[in-house]
Amino acid sequence: MLEIFTLSLLTLFALTSVVAAYLAIRERDLVKAIVYSAIQSSMYALIYYVLMAPDIVLVYIPVSVGLIPAVLLFVVKKTERYEGE
Amino acid sequence: MVKKSDVFVAISIAVFVLSLAYVTSLGGLGPLPPVDARKIAYAYLNLTYNPWQPFLTAFALESVTAIIWDFRGLDTLYETAVFYGAIIASIALYRGVKISLSKKEWSKLGLSPIAKTVTRLSFVLIPTVAASVALHGHLTPGGGFQAGSIATVVIVLAIIIFSRYFLPKHGVSKNRALLFRSIGLMGVGLTSIAILLAALALGTNAYIFQNQAKLNSPLSFPARVDDYTLGGSLLFFNLFEFIAVAFGFTIVFLLLSVSEEEVRKVVTRD
Repeated sequence: MLEIFTLSLLTLFALTSVVAAYLAIRERDLVKAIVYSAIQSSMYALIYYVLMAPDIVLVYIPVSVGLIPAVLLFVVKKTERYEGE
Repeated sequence: MVKKSDVFVAISIAVFVLSLAYVTSLGGLGPLPPVDARKIAYAYLNLTYNPWQPFLTAFALESVTAIIWDFRGLDTLYETAVFYGAIIASIALYRGVKISLSKKEWSKLGLSPIAKTVTRLSFVLIPTVAASVALHGHLTPGGGFQAGSIATVVIVLAIIIFSRYFLPKHGVSKNRALLFRSIGLMGVGLTSIAILLAALALGTNAYIFQNQAKLNSPLSFPARVDDYTLGGSLLFFNLFEFIAVAFGFTIVFLLLSVSEEEVRKVVTRD
C-alpha cells in the first residue's frame, strides 16, 4: 500500500514537472518561462524528498527555486523580455 | 491562452514518459532500485558512527556529511575550489565597476511597505534556518553548501524588495563579502591541515584531511563534548563552507544588481 502511494506521488510530481518543462520551453514571455521552470524545479525537489534524499532537497529548493530564477530574472532584465521568432 | 497543439504535445510527452517508466518498471534495465545496497554503501553506513572501529569511523550521525567532508573530503575541497574560481571569474568580469552609494532617497525605492515589512521578518528567520542547517549538518540532513545557499535567499530578497542600494548602505559591500568569503575558504583550508600542523609540532604522523585518529597517527578532532556529538572536523568544515558559500553568492548577486549603464561606462571607458 505504502509503495503504491509513494509511486503514485512520484508519478504525479514527475508528470507535473514534464508539463511545466514543456510550458517553459514553449512560453515566449521569458518571465513566465522562468516561473514555469521554477515549478518544474519544485516538483523535482518533491521527488527528491519522496526518494528520501533530504540533503539534496535542502540545497535544491534555495538554488533552483530561489537563486537560479533570480539570476535568470536579472539576465532577462538586462536583455529582453519577449523571445522573437 | 493554451493552444490545442500545446495540449497535444504535453499529453504525448506524458504518454512517452509513462510508457518509458512502465518499461523500466517491468525490468527493462534490470531490477530498479537494485535489490542489495552496494558494498561501498554498506561500508559508509557501517562507519559513519561506529565506536567499535575508532580508526575508521567519522563519529558523525549523518552519513551524507560524513561522506562529503570525511570519506571523500578532498573531492569536496576541489569542488569548493571550482566555486571559488567561478566567483573570481565573475569579479574579474566586473573589474573596475564601482557599486555606487550616491543615490539619494534610496529608501523610497523598492516594493511596497507591506512587502518590505514581511521581508524584514525573513531577515531574521532565513539566517536562523541557515545557521541551524550548517551547525547541525553533522547530525541532521544539511551542511555548509545547503546553509550557504539558503542564506543567500536573504540577499536576493533584500536586493529585489529593498533596491540594490540597501545592502551596501547597511554594510554588506562587495569587498567586505570578499573578505568574509576568503576567511571561510581559509577556514576550510586550515581545517583540512589542522591535524597535520599539530602533528608537525608534536612530531607524530598525520594525514591531510584527517578527522579521527588513524592506526599510525594518533591525533584527532574532538568527537564529542559531553553528550553532544561534534563529528570532529565536520562541524568546522560545515561552518566555514557556510560562510564561504553565503558570501560568494552575495558577491555574485551584488555584482549582478549593478545597473547596466554603470557597467557600460566602465567597459567603454566613457
